Amino acid sequence: MDMALTPSETLIFERSAPGKTGMDLPALDVPRAADTRPAHLKRQSFEAMPEVSEVDVVRHFTRLSRWNFGVDDGMYPLGSCTMKHNPRLCEKAAGLPGFAESHPLAPPKHVQGNLELMWTLQEWLKEITGLDAVTLHPAAGAHGELTGALLIRAYHVSKGARRSIIIIPDSAHGTNPATAAMAGYKCVEAPSQADGTISFDDVTDAAAGHVKKGLLSLISEHGREIAGIMITNPNTVGIFEYRIAEIVKLMHDIGALVYMDGANMNALVGVARPGDFGVDAMHLNLHKTFSTPHGGGGPGSGPVACTAALAPFLPRPAVVKTQSGFDLDWDRPQSIGKMHSYFGNFAMEVRAMAYCLSHGSDGLRQATMRAIMNANYIRKGLEGRYHLQYDSPTLHEVVFDDANQSKYGVTTLDIAKGLIDRGFHPPTIYFPLVIHGALMIEPTESEGKAELDAFVEAMADIAERAKDDPESLRRSPVKTPVARLDETAAARKPILRWRGE
Amino acid sequence: MRYLPSAPVEDRALLDAIGVKSADELLCGIPGSLRLGAPLNLPPKSSELDVLRCLEAMAGRNTRFSSRFLGAGAYAHFIPSAIDALASRQEWFTAYTPYQPEISQGTLQHIFEYQTLICDLTGLDVSNASMYDGGSACVEAALLAVRVQKKKNTILVSKGLHPHYLEVLRTNVAAREGLNLLEVELKDGVTDLDDLKAKLTPNAACVLAGYPNFLGCIEDMTAISGLVKPAGALLISVTQESMAFGWLEAPGKLGADMACGEAMSFGNSTSFGGPFLGFLAVKDGFKREMPGRIAGQTQDLNGKRGFVLTLASREQHIRRDKATSNICSNQALVALRANIFLQLAGPEGLKGLAEQNAAKAQYLRSKLLETGKFEAVFSAPYFNEFVLRYKGDADALRETCLNKGVLPGLLLGRYYEQLRGCLLWCATELNTKQEIDELAALVAGVKA
Repeated sequence: MDMALTPSETLIFERSAPGKTGMDLPALDVPRAADTRPAHLKRQSFEAMPEVSEVDVVRHFTRLSRWNFGVDDGMYPLGSCTMKHNPRLCEKAAGLPGFAESHPLAPPKHVQGNLELMWTLQEWLKEITGLDAVTLHPAAGAHGELTGALLIRAYHVSKGARRSIIIIPDSAHGTNPATAAMAGYKCVEAPSQADGTISFDDVTDAAAGHVKKGLLSLISEHGREIAGIMITNPNTVGIFEYRIAEIVKLMHDIGALVYMDGANMNALVGVARPGDFGVDAMHLNLHKTFSTPHGGGGPGSGPVACTAALAPFLPRPAVVKTQSGFDLDWDRPQSIGKMHSYFGNFAMEVRAMAYCLSHGSDGLRQATMRAIMNANYIRKGLEGRYHLQYDSPTLHEVVFDDANQSKYGVTTLDIAKGLIDRGFHPPTIYFPLVIHGALMIEPTESEGKAELDAFVEAMADIAERAKDDPESLRRSPVKTPVARLDETAAARKPILRWRGE
Repeated sequence: MRYLPSAPVEDRALLDAIGVKSADELLCGIPGSLRLGAPLNLPPKSSELDVLRCLEAMAGRNTRFSSRFLGAGAYAHFIPSAIDALASRQEWFTAYTPYQPEISQGTLQHIFEYQTLICDLTGLDVSNASMYDGGSACVEAALLAVRVQKKKNTILVSKGLHPHYLEVLRTNVAAREGLNLLEVELKDGVTDLDDLKAKLTPNAACVLAGYPNFLGCIEDMTAISGLVKPAGALLISVTQESMAFGWLEAPGKLGADMACGEAMSFGNSTSFGGPFLGFLAVKDGFKREMPGRIAGQTQDLNGKRGFVLTLASREQHIRRDKATSNICSNQALVALRANIFLQLAGPEGLKGLAEQNAAKAQYLRSKLLETGKFEAVFSAPYFNEFVLRYKGDADALRETCLNKGVLPGLLLGRYYEQLRGCLLWCATELNTKQEIDELAALVAGVKA
C-alpha cells in the first residue's frame, strides 16, 4: 500500500475564496420571501462555511478518501467489528427511489413495500435467533443494548420489582456496562476463568492481591436484586460460553433475565440459536453479521429480538401483518416507548434484507462456517509465533497478544503499525481488557486462502523483525500520509475545530 | 455463493492445514445439545438478479408521490449529484471508526471539518462526530445537562418539541431514578413564557425548545434564554429542520448552551426515517462531558498536521459504566454527506436555499388560504412549515390529495388534541410553483 500519491490535502476552509460556490440555485418561480423574522433572529454571518467550487469539493473528498483503508483495499481483520465484504447489490437496493423517497409519516397504506420489507426481515431474524419477536428500531448495537436493558427493566417493573443490578463479564465490550448505567442499573463484574469463559467460582487475582467473586457468589450475594446478565456469546475472545444453558437456569431461577450481546452472532448463524438455549433478549448488529457497510463509524443498525414474554414491551410502533397487508401498530400500552425518532435506520434494513435473500438458509450457514475456518486457519498459522492466552476452541475470531514480542521491546501497537506498512488493516488492539496487549483477529468469511496466507506471512515477518530489528517496527508506519500521531497532545490541548489562520 | 471465496479444493486445503477432517469439528466448543439440528427454515440462496427483482417489487409497493408537502422532521431537499458519487467511494463507506489514525486520515479530517461546520451553524464551540438522530441527540443533550448541573433533576421540555423526540426523551429518562421530565405548555404555537417561568424552579437542570419548533413556529430563543439563564438552567436549542440555519441566527449567539437536532436535510433522502443525522454542539466548558466520538487536530512524529479521535476517556471503551454515554457506532456516513453538502453550498448557497424554502412556504400558505378552505392558526413567524386549520373534513381532504398522487401535510390531531382538523404543511426548494398551484386547485375543487 502506498498512500503517498497525495502528500497533503489542506482543510477545505483553507481553500475558500470569496465568491466561489459549488451550488447554483434554480431560479425562484414564486415571489421572494417576505422577511418576517424579528431582527435579532436573522442569520447574520458564517465564520467557517467555505466558498469553493464543485471541482474543489470533488477533489477534496477524493483525495481524502485515498487516505482511508477500506474493505475493498484488502483484509481488514478488525476483531469484533466483522469487516466483511459489502455487496454492491445492497447499496443499489437501498437507493431504489421507492424506498429512498418514502416518508416516515406517510400513511401506512402508501408505504406497504417498506412495511413488508421490515416485516419480512423481522421474520428472518426471528428464525435466525430462535426468538419470538423483533424490533428494528435501534440504530446501532449499543442502542440495541439500551433497548434490551429497558425491556428488562419494564419486565421487572411489570412484576412489581425494580431490581437494581446487571451482571457483566469482565471480557465484555465497554458498551455493556455503559448501557446498563444509562438504563439506571448498577453493574457488577463477573471474572473470566482460565479457559476464557465466565467463571462460576471465585477467581484469585494474584497481581491485584484480591479475590473476584464468581457468578455463583454474585448470585448468592445479590439474589433477587439481580435484574439480569448481559453476556456476549461467543464472547469477545471468540470462545463459546459453553455453560450458557446453566447460566440461563441460574438466572431464571432467581427471576432474572439473560440478555445476549449479539456482536458475534456471525459465528452462530445457521449453527446455533440463542432462543434455543434460553436467551430472553439480544441484539444483532446488521453492520456486522449482515454486512451493512460500516460507513467510517456508522450508520449501523441494532435490531433486538426477544421472547414472547418481553414482546409487549418492545418500542412502538410495531410492524404488523393484517388481512389486507401491513400496518404500524401504535397501540402498545406496555411498550417502553420510542427509541428512535421514526423506525430505525431503514436503509440499512434494506441492505440487510438484500444480504439475507442473497445468502438464503444455505449461504448464511456457509458464511458462518467459512468465517470459523478462516479464524482457525490464522490461529494455526500464527500459533507458536504469537502468544495465545486461552487454548479453548476458536470460533470466528482469535485473540493473540504481544507476550512473545514484548521481551524485545515490541508492543501490540508496534505490531499493528507494522501491519499497516505491510498492506493490512490492523486487528482490534488492546481489547478485550482481560488479555494484556490483545490482538483480536477476525478475518471474516470474505477472505480467500491467498489473502489469509499473505496475512500470516506479514505477521510472521513482524515476529522476525521484532527479534532482529525492533526499531523498524517502532518507527512504523512509514508508508502512510502521516506517521504516528501525538494523541496525548491532542487530548491535553484539544483543537476540535478550525478557527482560521 | 458469490460472496464467499469457497471452492472445494480451497476448503480442503484450509481444513487440512488446521488439522481437522470436516468443518463441523471446528464447532466442538459448542455443546452438541445447543447446536441447531436442522437447516434454518428460510428460502435458499438467490442470484443478484432475483434479489433485485424481489426488492424492486417491494419498493414498487410504496406510492411514489408526484409532489410532497410533508416534513415534520423528515425533509425532502435536492441532493447534489456529487454527494452520491463521493459517498459511494469504498474508502468512505466500507471503512469503520478511525481507530488506526494513520490509515484513516480521510475520515478523521472529514469529521474535523464536519465538527467545524456544525459549530458554525449553531454558534457553539464543540461538536461531536454525530448522534443517531434528532431524538437521541435530545436525550444525550438532556443527560449531559443533568450531569453538569449535579443536583438539579428536572428536564423541562417545551410541548413544541417534535412529539417523537419527546417520546424518545421520555422513554430514556423514565429509566433514571429521580429524574423528572416536565412539559411546558404552548401559547399561540410557541412556548408559553409564563408557564416556563412558573416551572423554572431551582430543580430545573435544562430546557429543551424547538427552533423552529414542530409546528413550524420560530421560537424567540432570546426571550426564552432571558428566563432560563437567571433560573440557573441550561438552554438546549433543538432544530429538526437544519436548513433553517441558513435563515435563522445561530442558537449559540442567542444564549443557547447546547444545540442539537436533526441534520438529515443536508444531502440525505427521507428514506422512511433513517439513517438520519443527529447533531450535538455545546459550549467549550462541556466538552469533557460530551457523548460519542470527537476528532481533534494534532501532529505526527515529524511535525506534520494530522487528526485523531480524542478525549476518549469520556467513552465507553475506556470508562465503561462511568462513560458519558454508551454510543459506539454513530452516523458517520450521513455526516459525510452533510459535510459534502455544506461545502458545496457554502454560506451563500445555504442562505439562498433557506430563502427559497421560506419563499415557497409563504407562497404555499397564501395559495391555500386563498382557497377559502383554510384558516390561519398561529401568528408566529415560520420558516418552511406552518399550520392551517381545514374548515371541512381534514381526513377526507387528505385522502383526496393522496389519491391524486400528492403527499399532503401532517394531520395534527393525533399529536395535539386542540389541533384536530389542522395540518402541518411543508414546502422546500423542490416544490415548484406549478405543484403548489395544482395543490391549491385540487383543494379549491373539494366539495365541502
